[in-house]
Amino acid sequence: MTVIFQLNGEDCRFDGDPMTPLVDILRQERFLTGTKAVCREGFCGACTVHVDDEAVPSCLKPIGLVQGCAVTTIEGLSSGNQALHPLQANFEAADAVQCGMCFPGMVMSLSAFVRDNPHAGRAEIKAAMVGNICRCTGYERIVDAVADWLDQARMAGQVVRGIHV
Amino acid sequence: MAPSVERSFTAASTIEEAMAARRQGAAVLAGGTWMMRDPRRGVDLPEALVALHRIPALSKVEIAPDHVVIGAAVSHAVLGRALHGAVGFEGLVAAAENAANPGIRRVATVGGNLCALDFAAADLPPALLVCEATVELETFEGPKLIGISDFLKDRHALLAEAIVTRIHLRRDLVASAHIRLPLRKAGDYPVAIVSLAVDKDKRCRIAVGSVEPVARRWTALEQAMAADSASAFDPERAAGLALEHNDFQGRDGKEAEGWYRRQVLAPLVKRGVAALLKTGGLA
Ligand code: FES
Ligand code: FES
Repeated sequence: MTVIFQLNGEDCRFDGDPMTPLVDILRQERFLTGTKAVCREGFCGACTVHVDDEAVPSCLKPIGLVQGCAVTTIEGLSSGNQALHPLQANFEAADAVQCGMCFPGMVMSLSAFVRDNPHAGRAEIKAAMVGNICRCTGYERIVDAVADWLDQARMAGQVVRGIHV
Repeated sequence: MAPSVERSFTAASTIEEAMAARRQGAAVLAGGTWMMRDPRRGVDLPEALVALHRIPALSKVEIAPDHVVIGAAVSHAVLGRALHGAVGFEGLVAAAENAANPGIRRVATVGGNLCALDFAAADLPPALLVCEATVELETFEGPKLIGISDFLKDRHALLAEAIVTRIHLRRDLVASAHIRLPLRKAGDYPVAIVSLAVDKDKRCRIAVGSVEPVARRWTALEQAMAADSASAFDPERAAGLALEHNDFQGRDGKEAEGWYRRQVLAPLVKRGVAALLKTGGLA
């Protein structure tokens, strides 16, 4: 089957088994290895990407369902040569990252969350992280960094109907 | 990556197109969150699939003054948002908003949850049982309506030649609650689930999920509570009756053994009645 979709803003074509998990195409065909395949069961969140602006586990997304969709991976948020996404910058500034394995997924989940929930408090931030497992940090510094970023954005008046990512 | 396989994949845009693919032997693909793990369970993925996500009629929630219709391709997240604040559906909203994790809830559908035959810990079946939902199927002979209890009991046979298209709910509840017990605070499959609802005649409906292989109504407890009408609104008394009328055979599983699933039901009933009392309809 041929599947045509947008990947980080560019047209992308896949020919093969429509039940191939999106994560495998990202990593093995497109070499976008920021997206991690860890549990492959929807439990850990390390494979989270945006499909049509929604944060979803790419390990459970058959490519056949991606036809016509727009996919954004962690590499699509910032190439590394550009300014980081503000959430990434905040994680770096707060020294929230340890081994880093969970962070691409964490950033993809939370960047969509802060965009849609600019007035969220700590409880909502924690609820949004339920599907992103981190073995290193104990989570609190991540929650602190997200809460700080939302505070800063509110103070800077960036929040009108949502934070743009 | 999986070796290249010649697999047939139809993204149906109408129910008729989906049924035509079904007739040719295609399996139904909903959000994919259950089926994509088949290989990890040692089950081969189907050779032919039909996806329902492009059928507009199956992707919406219609809310009328006396009833609600939920398309089978509606995700848990969309269902939770659509019914948020609707009196009587607090339990169904809690089921949709607390199942699995946020990423899964954006993808996993209502129809998929009802049709995952081996998924004992699904959240929506007990919540829909206390709503006394009606399941609409498209069969090879045309549309068919069936009560949720009968659907859950017979779904193995029914789904051999049908697709779940919609779920119909009456708006006859004044309050409902959905209590789940995962081993961790969130993100786990629940060990046991108790859904409760109170109808306009103040009768209590109770259903249990995850304890036995298929969710079912707890009729013995419903009858005991009807005979002792104050118990529906007294958490301690309801829990006492739950202990006395516990007729469940707990299933052994990875998260918990059967005896434990059975044992936690009375405390969950107590929590459920307390939650009912906090809803707008009964407070
Ligand atoms: S690898 Fe997808 S959720 Fe863990
Ligand atoms: S920083 Fe190591 S898993 Fe999260």
